[in-house]
Amino acid sequence: MKHVFALTATMAVGLLLSGCDQRPGGTSSGGETTTGTASASGKTSFVIGMSQCNLGEPWRVQMNADVKKAAEAHPELTVEFKDAQNDTLKQRAHVEEFARSGVDLLIISPKEAAPLTQPVAAAFDQGIPVIVLDRAVTGDKFTQFIGADNKKIGKAAGEHVKKILGGKGKVVELKGLMTSTPGQDRHAGFREGIAGSEIEVIFEADMNWLEPDARKEMESALARFPEIDLVFAHNDPGAHGAWMAAKAAGREGQMKFVGIDGLPQEGQAYVKQGVLDATFEYPTGGQEAIDSALKVLNGEEIPKTVTLKSKVYTKENIASGGEVLE
Amino acid sequence: MLLQMSDISKGFFGIPVLHGIDLHLDAGQTLVLAGENGAGKSTLMKILGGVHSPDSGSILIDGQPVILRQPLDAERAGIAIIHQELSVIGAMSVQDNLFLGHEITRLGMVNRRDQGRRAQELLRPFGLGDIDTSRRLETFPIAVRQLIEIARATSRDARVIVMDEPTSSLADPDVAKLVQIMADMKSRGAGIIFISHKMSEIYQVADQIMVMRDGRHVATSAAAEMSPQALITNLVGRELTGQIPAPPPLEADAPEMMKVSGLSVASPTLPGQWVIQDVGFSVRRGEILGFSGLQGSGCSDVFHALYGSFGRRARGTILSETIRSLPRSPREAIAHRIAFLPADRKESGLILQMSVAQNITLPTLPKFSPGGWLSNGDENRCAGGYIEALRIRCMGPRQPVRFLSGGNQQKVLLARCLETKPILLLLDEPTRGVDVGAKHEIYELISQIRKQGTTILLITTELPEMLGLADRICVMHRGHISNVLSRDEATQENILAAAMGGEAQSA
Amino acid sequence: MKKFFAHPAARALFALLLVMIIGSIFNADETFFKWGTHRDTLRQMSTYGILACGMTVVIITGGIDLAVGSVLALSAVLFTKLSIHYDWPPAAAVAGALAGAMAAGFLSGTFTARFGVQPFIATLAMMVFARGMAKWVSGGEKVSTYVQQTDGSFSYEEPPAIMNFLNSGLFNNNIAVVTILFAISALVTWVLLSRLRWGRYLYAIGGNEEAARLSAVPVRAVKLLAYSYSGLLAGLAGLCQAAQEMQGDPEAGVSYELTAIAMVVIGGTSLMGGRGGVGLTIVGALTISYLEKILSINAVGEANRLMLTGAIIVGAVLFQRSQNNA
Repeated sequence: MKHVFALTATMAVGLLLSGCDQRPGGTSSGGETTTGTASASGKTSFVIGMSQCNLGEPWRVQMNADVKKAAEAHPELTVEFKDAQNDTLKQRAHVEEFARSGVDLLIISPKEAAPLTQPVAAAFDQGIPVIVLDRAVTGDKFTQFIGADNKKIGKAAGEHVKKILGGKGKVVELKGLMTSTPGQDRHAGFREGIAGSEIEVIFEADMNWLEPDARKEMESALARFPEIDLVFAHNDPGAHGAWMAAKAAGREGQMKFVGIDGLPQEGQAYVKQGVLDATFEYPTGGQEAIDSALKVLNGEEIPKTVTLKSKVYTKENIASGGEVLE
Repeated sequence: MLLQMSDISKGFFGIPVLHGIDLHLDAGQTLVLAGENGAGKSTLMKILGGVHSPDSGSILIDGQPVILRQPLDAERAGIAIIHQELSVIGAMSVQDNLFLGHEITRLGMVNRRDQGRRAQELLRPFGLGDIDTSRRLETFPIAVRQLIEIARATSRDARVIVMDEPTSSLADPDVAKLVQIMADMKSRGAGIIFISHKMSEIYQVADQIMVMRDGRHVATSAAAEMSPQALITNLVGRELTGQIPAPPPLEADAPEMMKVSGLSVASPTLPGQWVIQDVGFSVRRGEILGFSGLQGSGCSDVFHALYGSFGRRARGTILSETIRSLPRSPREAIAHRIAFLPADRKESGLILQMSVAQNITLPTLPKFSPGGWLSNGDENRCAGGYIEALRIRCMGPRQPVRFLSGGNQQKVLLARCLETKPILLLLDEPTRGVDVGAKHEIYELISQIRKQGTTILLITTELPEMLGLADRICVMHRGHISNVLSRDEATQENILAAAMGGEAQSA
Repeated sequence: MKKFFAHPAARALFALLLVMIIGSIFNADETFFKWGTHRDTLRQMSTYGILACGMTVVIITGGIDLAVGSVLALSAVLFTKLSIHYDWPPAAAVAGALAGAMAAGFLSGTFTARFGVQPFIATLAMMVFARGMAKWVSGGEKVSTYVQQTDGSFSYEEPPAIMNFLNSGLFNNNIAVVTILFAISALVTWVLLSRLRWGRYLYAIGGNEEAARLSAVPVRAVKLLAYSYSGLLAGLAGLCQAAQEMQGDPEAGVSYELTAIAMVVIGGTSLMGGRGGVGLTIVGALTISYLEKILSINAVGEANRLMLTGAIIVGAVLFQRSQNNA
């Protein structure tokens, strides 16, 4: 069966290359192709390739899980996952492998933009619709970009902190990695959020998104400052590591903890347990990617960019599933 | 005068090693530099080689002062040094070693054809004209490697050539070739400084003999004017009687201790080939049985086979009251009370970082560690006994063995063998790289050991030593025993004839 | 002076002293003089230190064990999986995790000692393999106290008492349990190396393997045990890591092997084998850990921190080497 699909896909590619535009659904303006070729051949089942840049991070594990879960509701979809283990060139090879094997649609969460733009564009030119998740590629040779806005989330966190501290207090900021875009955006957003208040960031350190490192840095902060009102960490494991450090020092009751990511088994669970005061969801977009994929495969038109809405989970709203940030 | 070193002094960490040494060398002359280990010969030669700088003194070549700050300076000044430890690179080919730093190039690329041809020319005088010079050096036996090292040093048209124990791995025919080559170099106007502990060799090559002791110059005179007896007296600073003390004769009714037959070792690289094949001999209790042969004849392999080093590659039968089968491992050999003193004490004998005591007790460690727990007191007491009995000169059982002189290191290895209470002792070159005084002590020890009824198998490339010590000599040729000579039959000529086997007859 | 520095221990102690002087100068508002700072340093170095103890044993034989970081993760994941998800009694969970880690070391040792694979290659393979095992056991996700139920929801389980114990402090919280485990590991390693026949054999093999073989040293068995011991200690470090994170992270311990090797080498144990000891390793571990702590309490940025640490490691190693040649 698979061979038949591959054959039809190849034929479709051949048609594309010869310039015969026989695809239903047409094209949108500016040559932005939004539909695949599959429905043209009357297919009833589709293969989606999912290229993940690194499964070392829980958040990305969650993204894959979300994609898988969403796809399971649609028996006509089969998703093949590949993990590039944080290696750009490996991910590039994965994209090329998917394109060669003729998947009906490609979902990619790229490690970085520049080196992956070209292979993604090649797959797109071959007629494979591409949905880009979380981090963008440059240019416009993809079908849709789905992502959240780190700066907005950071700002929301800053405003929340301002609110719960009453606009005044000493804060420790545990930063993800200041050489990464999410780290920079969350940091800038947070500072924007607390701007104009009497909140003072007394200690900031890189913790490489890692819990053990966050714990180490927090211990230094605790040793140095007898008075800390709140810890803001760029991810939930970081916030949890800081809480573990404070607990070991017997000071976890004297301060509040705020994190980002809001995964069910991490941030949300920590809020339920009372470890964190708040966590801001950084949505994976897994569900949305599959929704878009279905639309594309059925020949519908979809927008070029989707910005995901974040949620905040606090002790008060966690039972009711959090509150959507506008 | 070709080379003049005047009033050279050198100390390390404030400890003086050389006291105002003078050395003169004329063109076309061989100067033998003699001295016990630690006399300062090597330090003096390292100064000449640019490895160390002297604290005071001057060096003149052809009357011109030279300053040697690094080995390259020495090479430019026309000085070539052949070190005692091989300085060739095993993983590189023969020709690459020969021309290292002096590659024959064409348009910046190494020209292998020219280089190969030139390599063969260089090696022909050594009888190595036919070897494949593109093969890796480590695939050749140690004697060939040493010859190649000599060929490399002589290829650079050096005026002053220093040879530091160049013959320690060479058998007599190879030594003869070397003597011929030295004569050629002398006739071309080179001067040679030759370091050796072998009495026969010294008088074979020397024009002048210079003796050093404890960092001081003792005597220099023409070779003809210094008798061997006078040389030994100069070396050790005291009179030594006779060259090799003959051990007391073997008891006439000594029973047979072991009979070996069909001992063979398969070649590790060439299937169907044998390193040694069908070796058989018998030995009586307390006998000293010598094994003699040219390089590659398989003498050492017989010892390794008896000691179990080859594992299952070796086969053969042993008939003996105590040793019932050929050992499969050194462990088994030691359990059968076989002890082995390997030829190369630094490569396969000593653990240089460990102390005298730790080296002595290594094979018998279970005895000194009941239940796995070490008993340092017992070890040091045991080592202390050997230090006294074997007159090992060291600062005590805890001194790292690397600080000991060659002779004393060898005694440590001998102590290790004796501590296993052997009934069969395999000695492979027990006096290699050992100074004259220590050699005599080792000869005496060997006599004492055989007196106690221990059977000894002995390999030595120094034929006078072999003739003096062995009751009988098995001469080996290409993996077989070609002849067994009794003490009365054995002469240097007989041994050589048998060692050269069929080749000698066809020649 | 020259004589004083002739011993590697003197040089190692001098390097540590220098670091302590730096700490006294850059004391971050006297944070460096508080006992809590030192207690935290000793706690933070424990996992690395335990790894370094095992590494010392392997390096003395002239080998190397690159797998310890991955084996740490394998042990952490096994321990949390068994104790949290399968409710094994503490002793059984500890034994299970340690057995798994020791088996990994045993396998490395088998390939090195029995089949003659170079230690670098054999343990590199085990590094990759054990990481894979850790991900397989954990399903690629952190094994935490939030256990996913069959319906997809998460339930919170109390952390097992053994984990709380390992994460706690003794003597009025003045010394961490993991620090004591480190001290015990160091003591046991010291006994092995200097009091047991086996230890003597390790030095003999590292000093001259051929001579050791001809002296009837059971070379294969001794090496096999060395790698197994390193695996066992990596397992112990894994328990400590899991307890301090309250979870088993399959990504834990990445590049820890390099830190452990640096600690051994800075102490003055020779990578060539045959020389060194665990006392030196402790000094090396203290040097690196205090350096890290001083950089942390002064909130030095990540980039500067990496450069400084690299420069100081090279400097310390050169210092060790320079005196060896004299």
